[in-house]
Amino acid sequence: MSGDVRRSSLLAGGTRTRLVEAGPEDATEAVVFVHGNPGSVDEWIPLAQAVAARTGKRALAFDLPDFGETIAPAGFEHHVAGYAAFLGEGLGSLGVERAHLVLHDFGGPIGLVWAMTHPDALASVTLIDTGLLPGYRWHYLARIWRTPVLGEIFQAITTRAGFRFALNANEPRGLPREFVDTTYDHYDSRTRQAVLKLYRATPDPGAMSENLIGLFRPRDVPALVIWGEHDAYLPASYAVRQREAFPSAEVHVLPASGHWPFADAPETVERLLAEFLGRVPATA
Amino acid sequence: MPSTDPHDATVHPSSSYDAVVVGASLAGCAAAIQLGRAGLRVAVVEKRPDPQAYKRTCSHFIQASGVPALERLGLLEPMEAAGARRPRVHIWCQWGWVESPPERAPRGVNLRREILDPMVRSTAAETPGVEMMLGWSAERLLRDGDAFAGVAIRNPEGKERDLRARLTVGADGRDSRIAELSKVPVKTYPHNRFAYGGYFEGGAPVHSPDATAWFLNPQWCAAFPTDSDLTFYAAMPTKDRLPEFKSDPEGALVRFISDVPEAPPIREGRLVGSMMGKVEMTNRMRRPVAPGLALIGDAALATDPLFGVGCGWAFQSAEWLSDAVRPALQGAEPLEKGLERYRRRHAKELRGHAFFIHDYSTGRRFNPGERMIWSAATRDPELALILESYGTRQIGPGQMMPRAFPRAVAAHARHALAR
Repeated sequence: MSGDVRRSSLLAGGTRTRLVEAGPEDATEAVVFVHGNPGSVDEWIPLAQAVAARTGKRALAFDLPDFGETIAPAGFEHHVAGYAAFLGEGLGSLGVERAHLVLHDFGGPIGLVWAMTHPDALASVTLIDTGLLPGYRWHYLARIWRTPVLGEIFQAITTRAGFRFALNANEPRGLPREFVDTTYDHYDSRTRQAVLKLYRATPDPGAMSENLIGLFRPRDVPALVIWGEHDAYLPASYAVRQREAFPSAEVHVLPASGHWPFADAPETVERLLAEFLGRVPATA
Repeated sequence: MPSTDPHDATVHPSSSYDAVVVGASLAGCAAAIQLGRAGLRVAVVEKRPDPQAYKRTCSHFIQASGVPALERLGLLEPMEAAGARRPRVHIWCQWGWVESPPERAPRGVNLRREILDPMVRSTAAETPGVEMMLGWSAERLLRDGDAFAGVAIRNPEGKERDLRARLTVGADGRDSRIAELSKVPVKTYPHNRFAYGGYFEGGAPVHSPDATAWFLNPQWCAAFPTDSDLTFYAAMPTKDRLPEFKSDPEGALVRFISDVPEAPPIREGRLVGSMMGKVEMTNRMRRPVAPGLALIGDAALATDPLFGVGCGWAFQSAEWLSDAVRPALQGAEPLEKGLERYRRRHAKELRGHAFFIHDYSTGRRFNPGERMIWSAATRDPELALILESYGTRQIGPGQMMPRAFPRAVAAHARHALAR
């Protein structure tokens, strides 16, 4: 068992993406972290390292196309299904047969859509401020992004200071400076365009809720839900609703966290995730 | 007519007193002790027959504002001898810790009600002039013209007695029967949190023996180390979290407290006894006087337990009442003058606090003014001391605000310039 993080790259879906791994290299069962928007593999490094060290499991994460430092291949479809297919190709290349998905933000729909097409490969799911969102109406930023012209202007005038202010203004305790700056460093023009495409291709984020419930509820997949009570984008009232699809889910609404609990409460998220993964049977 | 039954609860056959107090909990006993020491004859009526009875659902924290009243009653020393802790409260909020200078931080008292209540009751019973009538409950109020003049009481065997008194005191808690019978005006304010708590052995918080409170905006929890090396852990979440607590009170409390920032090691502790919980805590503010009648403690003002004011204000309101009516009961002035003095004191001391407590008990988050003061208090120990003096109810909002706002502005300005 090793807690050291290995950084490399992965050829998947016609592009080369940044890969971060910890724990046993060749295990076919892995804890797979999927980032949201804005986000990249960088935000998962401390957690992946800690989880591998504490559970002995293989932990890995990679950039989604046009996020982080990864360039989308020509013809890539910037919608949930496109990203889910990319996730599947990445996992296939890495030899992952059973995945403990750890999903955040837009990584939620992406990971869950992949799981819907590979239900037997889903060992467990951890939803961090994401999941099924029945009846959800897009948050104000998403509504701006989804509006033609306005979205482009908004993306064009977003500066580092503005980005920093916008992220922190909605967080109860603020986010670590390094976390925000790293996130902004990756929020380049390619990512900004990808964000517009992804949000415009997702008119109703709650649309697949019924399908998720229908597929996963009878399977009673082991699930952990972590949600920041002060999440300004995806309301914490959705945390307990994840039990509609994952009836045995353990739900933790962190009372002093916002949209990024792994950034503002890293020890708590690490403990909850490591303990949860320790309880999940090796072969579910 | 006085009873001649030898099994009657009274030692003395007389049924006429200077004051009859209904409720032998903290406020009632404290008032009886003060009035008895003034040479007055006091009957204390309590429906629970057991002299060891105690209030179970209580955080038992006595704010620093109540300490002088305990000292005056002569209870502080025996309480400390019985293992009471004298904690200050370390407060966590989303901007950091609110820490006043340690040597000047206000200190309250923590002693479990299991020990405190029998101690206060036996002190009252041993006070000359005080007669304890345990196992009797108030049935109706007696009248003398327009004024109340005592109570009719009944025991479980159905025996009834009239206790006549110049002053009737309702010290029978949040659901006061005396208040109900007297029909004094009452105002209610909604409460949108619920409370669960329990005593834990082991798993003491890092600030122990001091207390810790997390203002999670809007959620709340706290740890109160107390006698016998126990820690009382309590949470007061908003009501949307109730189903989780109802289905597994202990597990939900442990999970809730483990998930807070800089969480105490509650998981290493073991629950001693059973969990306690209270779901409905509507704030009630009653007019504390009527002709010949006064209400003290929770009977007068039953407010949000989140701020731990109930026990301290029970002792304090008992003191205010006994000081106010003593001259009248000693024949120096009409009773209504003393009661009016008590009403004014009660309003002056508590109305401002109650207003802000009731406002926050709706379950809301901090308003802009609170955000400004609390965030600044994490950077300025002197401002933290002002805030703590207010939170421990040693100063009122009228004294707190003019001192706190300028300091908060200055603290924010210093912080902005330093960046």
